[in-house]
Amino acid sequence: MSVSESNPPAVEVRGLVREFKGGIRAVDGLDLEVEPGEIYGFLGPNGAGKTTSVRILTTLLRPTAGSARVAGHDVVADADAVRRSIGVALQEAAIDPLMTGRELLRMQGALHGLRGPAARERAGQLLERVGLTQAADRRVGGYSGGMRRRLDLALALVHRPIVLFLDEPTTGLDPTSRGALWREVRSLNDEGTTVFLTTQYLEEAEQLADRVGIIAAGRLVAEGTPDALKARVGQPMLHVELAEAESAGRARDALGGLGRLEPPDPAAPTRVVLRTPNGKAAIAPAIRALDEHGVVVESVEVETPTLDDVFAAVTGSQLEGAGAVEAAA
Amino acid sequence: MNEARVVLALGRRALSVQFRRAQLLMPTFVLPLMLLAVIASGTSAAQDLRGFPDVASYLGFIVPGTIIQGALLAGLTSGTALAGDIEFGFFDRLLAAPVHRTSLVIGRQAGTLGLSVLQTTFFLCVGLAFGAHYPGGFGAALAAIVLAAITAVGIGGIAAALALRTGSLSLLQSIFPFVFVLLFTAPAFFPRELLTPVLRDVAAYNPLTYVVEAVRGLLTGEHGLGDPWLGLAAAVGLALATTMLATLALAQRLRAT
Repeated sequence: MSVSESNPPAVEVRGLVREFKGGIRAVDGLDLEVEPGEIYGFLGPNGAGKTTSVRILTTLLRPTAGSARVAGHDVVADADAVRRSIGVALQEAAIDPLMTGRELLRMQGALHGLRGPAARERAGQLLERVGLTQAADRRVGGYSGGMRRRLDLALALVHRPIVLFLDEPTTGLDPTSRGALWREVRSLNDEGTTVFLTTQYLEEAEQLADRVGIIAAGRLVAEGTPDALKARVGQPMLHVELAEAESAGRARDALGGLGRLEPPDPAAPTRVVLRTPNGKAAIAPAIRALDEHGVVVESVEVETPTLDDVFAAVTGSQLEGAGAVEAAA
Repeated sequence: MNEARVVLALGRRALSVQFRRAQLLMPTFVLPLMLLAVIASGTSAAQDLRGFPDVASYLGFIVPGTIIQGALLAGLTSGTALAGDIEFGFFDRLLAAPVHRTSLVIGRQAGTLGLSVLQTTFFLCVGLAFGAHYPGGFGAALAAIVLAAITAVGIGGIAAALALRTGSLSLLQSIFPFVFVLLFTAPAFFPRELLTPVLRDVAAYNPLTYVVEAVRGLLTGEHGLGDPWLGLAAAVGLALATTMLATLALAQRLRAT
């Protein structure tokens, strides 16, 4: 997404610290910058400081030290301007179960200065957008987890925010609901909304984020595009499983020109492992080369470094959903 | 202008949710009527006591006690609902909106006011159906409704301050018995003159004394039983002081976070 150079960063954080009673530093000198139009994935395990950071950025918590600006406004000195610019969907959708979806949207509209007819119209648009028109007049207590999350998202969009904060928006959702929410987030971003997304799911960050910041113990320990971060810990590996161990030599000859071959493993004589920067894109040339050398292939798998590998490399611990291997052929 | 819309929206929400939550509806509408029934049937002989005022109906005399009990419970349940909002995170949604912080307190109070108006009207009608007389007339009944509503806001302010200070739903639920302490240290169901001297002294410091007597004076048309202006002063004073207290509690909460 193109970004005008005159626009201030959507989020700008400098030396942010938040200390709680007992001297516990949930956020400990955080620095980060999110450009307008980006989806920024803020990744970290429970207790890393993600939610505390988001609460500061959304004006719900004051920093102990440092500064933070959202949409060009200081979160402490100009909190009201920040609130006008942001949409917030907090962790575990805090929605009154006794109200209906439509009532909540109309109330949210009033909180953001929409008059009766405008609030009604906007509520209708958003209900349609998140697929809740049929359930609009039912009490939220009867909604599924996915419906609540979609409603929470709709509530955050009532006033067409410039920056949208989503705090672990898919925690506890089934894969279908998660997919639906991801599509909606992408669509919002396509319309120009900057999205600041906290998550503890690697897949979510990989699927959605233009850039990822990894937080551990209240500090940003790594930042970059998912690909750049993964490249920091090594290249993808192509695992080729052969039909016969005798063809291993020919297979190594065939694949040698496509990347760096790992030394043969005597415990797995039918396996050849190739390190290649091309990842999945290397599968087709590899199959072709093996075919030309008359090698019969049983299977091919691509193992790409994950953000968890990055996380493990920079912090020494693992995240949710670690260890996924993409399979092909 | 926008703040007025915010207050209205929050008040409407507080009121509508009240009617959807049985644990809030029961104490505000049913419990006072149950106590009224018990007192009306069990203590009606009190009107034969020397010093008991000569009124058109005993029920009409004790309905003001029920009205004030309702106001107490309306205020308390309002605080309980606010504590629930804080504990379950809904209050954060409100705080993340670009509205004046005071509007969040006033909005809640607007809901309490509306609830009390409905509640008092209901109690007056039930009393009427069971034989209570209100010689003060329609205007006096309206004035009684207003007094009760302002009193409910006053109690709601205390409860909101506690909710904002502690954010604890269980604490708000646990102070429920204090309603009866406040109620029975005011001449809710008996004339002040017939209370024991100690209780009479305590009643003089309870602002509800002046409100319940004012409501009684209005409904019975006997202003000797209670001064409406004194009742109004007590109710307004309580409402202003406690709403300010709640606003300060909110400011303190925001400073602490």
